[in-house]
Amino acid sequence: MSLAEPAALPVAASAPPHLHILKRLSTRFKTSLPAYLLLLPSLIFLALFTYGAMGRVFIDALYQRATPKAPLRFVGLDNISAVLADPAFTGAVINNLVYAVGTAIPSIGLALLFALALARTNAVTSALRAALFLPVLIPMVAASALFLFIFLPNVGLLDYYIGRLLPVLPNWLGDSDIALYAIMVITIWKNAGYYMLFFLAGLQSVPEDVMEAAHLDGAGPWQRFRHITLPELKPTFLFVTVIAILNAVTQVDHVFVMTKGGPSNATNLVLFYIYQQAVEHYDIGKASAATLLTLAALMGLTALSFRTMANREGGA
Amino acid sequence: MLFTRRLMLGLAMAGSIVSALAVPAMAEGPTEIDLFFPVPVDGKLARDMGTLIKEFNETHPAIKATAVYTGSYDDTLIKTRASIKAGKPPAAVIMSANFLLDMQIENELTNLDGLIAADGTTKEKFLGQFFPALQGNAVIDRSVYGVPFHNSTPLLYINADKAKEAGLDPSKPPQTWAELTDWAKKLTKREGDKVTQWGIAIPCAYDYCGWMMETLTMTNGGRYYNEEFGGEVYYDTPSMLGALTWWNDLVYKHKVHAPGATPGPAVSTSFISGNAAMMMLSTGSLTYVRDNAKFNYKVAFIPRNVRNAVPIGGASLIVPAGVEADKQKAAWTLIKWMTSPEKSAWWSRATGYFAPNMAAYKTPDMVDFLNKNPDAKTAVEQLDVAKPWFATYKTVPVRKNLEDEVMLVLNGKKQPKEALVAAQKAADETLKPYNAETSLKLP
Repeated sequence: MSLAEPAALPVAASAPPHLHILKRLSTRFKTSLPAYLLLLPSLIFLALFTYGAMGRVFIDALYQRATPKAPLRFVGLDNISAVLADPAFTGAVINNLVYAVGTAIPSIGLALLFALALARTNAVTSALRAALFLPVLIPMVAASALFLFIFLPNVGLLDYYIGRLLPVLPNWLGDSDIALYAIMVITIWKNAGYYMLFFLAGLQSVPEDVMEAAHLDGAGPWQRFRHITLPELKPTFLFVTVIAILNAVTQVDHVFVMTKGGPSNATNLVLFYIYQQAVEHYDIGKASAATLLTLAALMGLTALSFRTMANREGGA
Repeated sequence: MLFTRRLMLGLAMAGSIVSALAVPAMAEGPTEIDLFFPVPVDGKLARDMGTLIKEFNETHPAIKATAVYTGSYDDTLIKTRASIKAGKPPAAVIMSANFLLDMQIENELTNLDGLIAADGTTKEKFLGQFFPALQGNAVIDRSVYGVPFHNSTPLLYINADKAKEAGLDPSKPPQTWAELTDWAKKLTKREGDKVTQWGIAIPCAYDYCGWMMETLTMTNGGRYYNEEFGGEVYYDTPSMLGALTWWNDLVYKHKVHAPGATPGPAVSTSFISGNAAMMMLSTGSLTYVRDNAKFNYKVAFIPRNVRNAVPIGGASLIVPAGVEADKQKAAWTLIKWMTSPEKSAWWSRATGYFAPNMAAYKTPDMVDFLNKNPDAKTAVEQLDVAKPWFATYKTVPVRKNLEDEVMLVLNGKKQPKEALVAAQKAADETLKPYNAETSLKLP
């Protein structure tokens, strides 16, 4: 009792500041409540369709159904190791890396070139910008159907013109050495115009007066580009690179329409592999395991790029 | 006494009130059903399907059928499975005939025996309308699961003008592999190393490739799979090795067939444009060729090495599992109408598929049509040597196990023997769970 007495004092003394904190919290809550309310619909959808689905995938990845009539069985990490041991999956990962690098670099390079060439606004550049942006507006499935005819061996548009120059006509989509590069062409063609928009916007932020000063100091066009434009475009580069890599993982419509991952899995990409496991092999466990691995890789990559961006802003 | 008379009466009354309420609600308007249909070959099948369903709806006011296009055969299987999983299956599907076994194993099909019996007929009588070669893919464990709708066999298409040009007689088409190789050599044109006209084109894309391998293996005396049991395929066998070696030789030894894997539409375009002088393709493309070829063409049996034989192709009408009784009935009316002699004859003329209903060939319109287009007879004549189409547990993955390896051979990456050993190993692996539950499960 006597020990409890002095201990009670500080509690009583600290009561007003405690209340004070609560009050401050409640006023803060009151001011931020509308913001949370506005975010709520998105949060609900995000929870239902993104985090809910992810949770479901996480659970499904732990189970396996041996045969149609057998019940679901808890298998732990067996599905993950089965996916990692599947040469079709490792093949798809390698294809996807080649595809990501091979589409990101050319489409970003082209986008930058287009943006630099069409930075000034006049009738001609507006028309050219629209023309370059047009492929973005065509749905991927329609574009793929179009390219299916362009790539048609011997009689397609491509062979009709290039065939005269080549000693042997390649079977663009049927040759396992070429097919992946053939579908990469579509992605580059489709995305370059889209990324151009970001670079056009980025170029607007290059300060006019700095440019003028450099010009007066006698800096040539290359020097100005190298030391002023490029550094100013750095955030745009980062942003576009992240989008390009995400696109490389999420765009598979053309694979579906043109090659179905073939010939012999030469154009199989990770997302298409997941689709195959889920609906062709009817193997939800393995499909979920592959999804988890892909999610982990993508989250790691996104976190890394956010950190890079944050570091850059911190340094600036 | 729990079940007093009064309680029973009350229950009966409640029941009749419920059903009285339910019946008018259901009787309002026609029964609406969906029909999933694929377009696996060239031509204007989708438009023809629209015409067919429109006529059905006009003649059957109690039913309103909607035709839903679902892509290739493989896509149609996927979409049907998705809709079954979602609890909203279509009332009827035109399903690739060889997927029925796999679907039955997965409990995804409605057994049609009950609907046949309700019509006051027997299974034997009902199936007796169709060509016997088709029954292997429609009957599982002595129950009917599918009704043959449009069926096909592979055919050899020949550009008759080019054959004459090369000094060959198109009225005597090649009957053996040796003759076909000889024809293909004579029909291949080169400018230096560059080929300007290929002797023959055989499609190899997922789905078509497996069917062509089955065709070549059968004409080489072989079987492709166990027709009685869904757990065995015969990829690593002499008959299949011979078949793949011959195909490989056409590409790399005789150089009369373009290397790489070529999808069906590319093959038919190549033939129509004169770039390939011969092709092996489904009779389902016959109308397309007839409408578009600007030269004289000829169709013939698939040449043999050991014997004449072809696999059945095409599709059957099925009712997925989980369709409500009233919709099942409406679907059954639609299925019977679509497979009747008149309608299946009309569909055959529109598409080039042969009509599975034998009586279709006795309808006056069809007799007329065959007199004018004798090329439409070839597939029907070939039916005498037709065998069921490859069907196993997990048909599509097991088929792909072979197709991926065949594509490697056609791309010059593997030799036939090692490819077939790998295909067999992969297929055995895919079939393992099913065998563990059936053939390997010992008492």
